Amino acid sequence: MTMFNLLRRQPWVITVLVFLILVTVNTVLQPSFVEPSVMQSNLATFLPLILVAIGQTYVILAGDIDLSVGSIVALVNVVTVTVIAALGGTLGAVFGGMAAGFVTGIACGLINGFFISGLRFQPIVTTFATGIIFAGLAIWVLPQAGLPVPDAYWMTYTESVLGIPVVAWVLIAGVVFTLVVSRLPFLTRLTAVGGNRTGAFQTGLSLGGLRIGAYVISGAFASFAALCLTGETASGDPLLGASLALSSISAVVLGGTALAGGFGNATGSVVGALVLGMIGNVIFFAGLPFEYQTLVQGLIVLAALAGGVFVTRR
Amino acid sequence: MFKKLVLAAMASVGIIASAHAQEQSFKIGLSNSFVGSEWRTQMIEEAQAAAAAWAEKGVKVEVVVQSGNVDVQGQIGHIRNFMNQGVDAVLINPGSPTAFNPIFAQAKARNLLIVATDAEVSSKDAIYVGIDQKAWAMQSAEWLAKTLNGKGNIVAINGIAGNPANELRVAGYKEVFAKYPDIKVLNEANASWDQAQGQQTMQNLLATYPDINGVWVQDGMADGAWRAIEAAGKVEGIAATGEIRKDFMTRWSEKKFNSGASVNPPGVMASALNVAVLKLMGKEFKDGVFGGTYGNAIYIPIPFVDGNNLADNLKAAEGKPGYWSVTATVSAEDAEQYFQ
Repeated sequence: MTMFNLLRRQPWVITVLVFLILVTVNTVLQPSFVEPSVMQSNLATFLPLILVAIGQTYVILAGDIDLSVGSIVALVNVVTVTVIAALGGTLGAVFGGMAAGFVTGIACGLINGFFISGLRFQPIVTTFATGIIFAGLAIWVLPQAGLPVPDAYWMTYTESVLGIPVVAWVLIAGVVFTLVVSRLPFLTRLTAVGGNRTGAFQTGLSLGGLRIGAYVISGAFASFAALCLTGETASGDPLLGASLALSSISAVVLGGTALAGGFGNATGSVVGALVLGMIGNVIFFAGLPFEYQTLVQGLIVLAALAGGVFVTRR
Repeated sequence: MFKKLVLAAMASVGIIASAHAQEQSFKIGLSNSFVGSEWRTQMIEEAQAAAAAWAEKGVKVEVVVQSGNVDVQGQIGHIRNFMNQGVDAVLINPGSPTAFNPIFAQAKARNLLIVATDAEVSSKDAIYVGIDQKAWAMQSAEWLAKTLNGKGNIVAINGIAGNPANELRVAGYKEVFAKYPDIKVLNEANASWDQAQGQQTMQNLLATYPDINGVWVQDGMADGAWRAIEAAGKVEGIAATGEIRKDFMTRWSEKKFNSGASVNPPGVMASALNVAVLKLMGKEFKDGVFGGTYGNAIYIPIPFVDGNNLADNLKAAEGKPGYWSVTATVSAEDAEQYFQ
């Protein structure tokens, strides 16, 4: 029973098992999977979702939700490339553009937090609406996909530093962030806000600040994801990131975080995002007919979620 | 030993073999980013059929498909999987004109041939085989303007703002209507290429403007728009562009719509496949064959359906399901014209 209790307290262990199974299946179907270059390319593909899922976790832990992350990614992307182009495409311009993008992401998080925590708006509807606004702003900033960034930007993104690919460094930084935050009182308080909001309020926690903080973290990670996507695509596209909101929520739940808030951790969400990415790969290398690929993908995601549900059910 | 035998065998049939070319075999990846439309399904099925047809010519074309509702990042993942699997060429219906530049560059570095279809891409490392979306729109706009004798009030219903094909189409009809000073565009709305939204938008437009003479509307939204026109009892007084699915053409014929439709054939991917296979066989493109916005496009013919040939098109659709679209493919023989 101890094993079962462990799983109940740490439901993301199930997701780790699912991940290992998917890796095994993928390696059998595609032996080149373990080659460093192939692993690097897979990681590059999954990285934006991983980053967005990390940010989404903190919002969900506080009992809220952020449906606007995909639009934030699009807006940060177009702001970044527009500023780089406006500043002349030099190395300084690249850093200026990245900074402008990052500030945009933080601002989006603040706006979400202000409406939801400050004005007590309902989170699902509000972030759905702000998502439309951010997407609209993205089209206003860059009406059509284009504006290539300097080659140095995407080339650096695909290269290695100190023998380790840049994408792996970004992943390591993200995971370290989640581990550091998990040691901070901030996370305990945030979890309290999600688990028992009235109780948290009565103990004197600053609910407003904590919830706004979570949305700002989500906005910040959405902007990191956008900067990675800019490295992937080397250009601006106002329609980028459309599927990220729901995928990131799925990744968070797969990672063992309760959708109602109050329980879970962001490191699990990293594994959850990896599982979602791997499912797509396995389906391809299994050679399924194209008519069934979407259906089977949905079924596997459902099965992976069900594993966690059955274990944690009392 | 085995090697020697093979060499000997090859030498002995050398002269015949060089004429008939040794059994060639290619693996081609197809990437599709949107599954919510029968048009895309038909596109993939026609490409698969075109690949199978190469067997008659002694060329084995194996097709691997990745299809799902994915964003740009997901489609980059498709291309990476193809690269890791080791295909010879990738055919892609791309979700963005610019976002694939780095991944195309990486694929090209590995000697992959990249052919985009249905939507143009800006990459120098890819080519585009498909229709000119702007010309597609100009053709039906021209039909509408002529049908109205160059005079009247028009509304337009478009797809998604910011989508590259949509922007090209909008530019196309604007250019045409600008040539007719007596044609007045009252309003331009977006309905996300959704049939129900198209219907609703048309209802609103009909309620707002009682004196509409013509409607320029794209793709499946035309079906919805025509339903709204029918409901308002204005079939006789309005000319509107149509679409090319069998269900719609049947209603068009029965209810005598005054309509005309440019065809974006689902066969574009099959056309792209035929071009790709010829290129993989070692043929070189003719000089000056590429044009378009990015100088990498081979534009293929755009059929047109109107009252004159509607019956023929319905006849060709006999026995097909209701969602079947009028199609056309640049055959392997026709594709030779693009090569030296």
